[in-house]
Amino acid sequence: MIKKILLTILFLTIHYSLITSHSYAITMDSTRFRIDFSNINSASGDKSSSGYKLSDTVGQLAAGQFASTGYIVKAGFQYIHSIIPFSFSVSNINIDLGTLIPNTPATGSTVLSINYGGAGQYQVTAIEETALQTLSGNAIPNTTCDGGVNICSESTARLWTLPSSYGFGYNMSGQDVPDDFVSTSFFRPFPNKAKAGIPSVVMTSTNVGRNRQATLTFKANISPVQPAGGYQTIVNFVATPSF
Amino acid sequence: MKNNIYSIFFSVLLSSIIYHLGSLPVAAQQVSLSLTPPLIESAISPGKSIMIAYNLKNNGDPTIINTRVVSFSPMGNLGNIQLKDEATGPVRFSLDNSFLQLNNPFILKTSEAQQLLLRIRVPDGAPNGDYYYTLLAETQAPPTTEGTVSTRAKAAIGANILVTVTDSGVVEINPKITLFATKGGFTLNQNVKIFDSFDKIPVVLYVQNKGNNLIKPEGSISLKGNFGETANFDIVPKNILAQSERLIEATPSSSIDCNGPSCNSPTSVTLSGFFIGTYQLSTNIGFGENSPSIFASTIFYAFPFKVLIGLFVTIAISVYIIKRLASD
Repeated sequence: MIKKILLTILFLTIHYSLITSHSYAITMDSTRFRIDFSNINSASGDKSSSGYKLSDTVGQLAAGQFASTGYIVKAGFQYIHSIIPFSFSVSNINIDLGTLIPNTPATGSTVLSINYGGAGQYQVTAIEETALQTLSGNAIPNTTCDGGVNICSESTARLWTLPSSYGFGYNMSGQDVPDDFVSTSFFRPFPNKAKAGIPSVVMTSTNVGRNRQATLTFKANISPVQPAGGYQTIVNFVATPSF
Repeated sequence: MKNNIYSIFFSVLLSSIIYHLGSLPVAAQQVSLSLTPPLIESAISPGKSIMIAYNLKNNGDPTIINTRVVSFSPMGNLGNIQLKDEATGPVRFSLDNSFLQLNNPFILKTSEAQQLLLRIRVPDGAPNGDYYYTLLAETQAPPTTEGTVSTRAKAAIGANILVTVTDSGVVEINPKITLFATKGGFTLNQNVKIFDSFDKIPVVLYVQNKGNNLIKPEGSISLKGNFGETANFDIVPKNILAQSERLIEATPSSSIDCNGPSCNSPTSVTLSGFFIGTYQLSTNIGFGENSPSIFASTIFYAFPFKVLIGLFVTIAISVYIIKRLASD
């Protein structure tokens, strides 16, 4: 009888631990996320007197106009009243491509997220600081994709599927990505800052929006003569609102 | 024997429990920053300074942040920017925070916010004109892992600062409409377009700023039909920087419910509904009090081609069938 009770308790424990292993209690704040409450306005709108004119929304993040002798300042986009701050997230800043095997492409991805309800429009640019290279300077060249009619550039994505096409590049998929990324097989090389490259726009939208997400997939494919070693590079992502 | 079975059974169960309770999920290192306000527009006379309070918040993992100010220039005509490596021009920037300085990294913990008190100073004698900058808050790349093939990422978020230096308070307003037209349809001549009555009609309006100070358009795009029907679309007052051109947008948003090849590129406004006859599109744009207005107009025609063609085909087929049946 005791054993039966013990067994029942154990089974219930297992059931609990297995079934609920990926569920977590909802908290209002943690190290991974936060919840923004709706805005509570105590005052909003335009105010004026003989000495000043002020357009603001008290309780919102930043939208206002202040005038004084010698200077005028306007903060935020006056045509947008939003509580959503301009924010930018990169889901993973250390993308491991694993051990590269010749003629076998390796990929890794990270998710770029943007909230820009109060920023009018936005852009995210990307540029590599150097080629994907070892400390001794051996480099995996930037991809030119499959070649022929499929030669890609920093501004034009093309098909890259051939195992004999070597290099390092990226694909974009999701929201607000450039139109030339027709599918997940289309890639571009990164512009190279060490070679005076100009950052490429990888996400942009002219419309007000929030929680826009795109996946950037890195791809590397090496030839059999590529020297062994630890290849690294740093990619700079910069998110800016419009003006 | 029975006891051994129970022992093994309990051991497996306990191992399972320890495994499932003890193995916490491992997450990739994440960066998440927010920076407000995203835009500052200021007109400052030489010798004056202002202070702007920015709020920088870290919603990701703890990270080291570096703040700096760089110049930017407009790129294209959709409001994108191109950052430069450093700040140029006469405007000077510094942080008023006691323990923070520009180009001096600091740690920002998870969910922690830092107020950045940015001092913007225009020195005496600074030449009149516009100067455009971006305040950047950028993270540092994670440390190198020996022997692996990996890509490390640095993330930065920016907020734009538009500074107009003027000693008299007078700014130069010199706009020009470079394009006001419908897209798609059938072109009869350079200025006349024909659309099907059910088409969505994208309209583009580009304004060039030939002056040396930024301008902000105000006004509307108006549609007037030959039966007296009218519609007005208010222009969104987005800045047009000095010596640049920008697509002007009007509400409602041009991207809503707009599909097809003609809607793939940005538009100022998209007209939708049932159109028939002649329509006149016009725009009248001002740039604030006592400033000149600029005007442009265009016309288009709309007829129910698709319905008429469908009707004609249906009648033709019907007549053919009737004749065929009659002959049989």
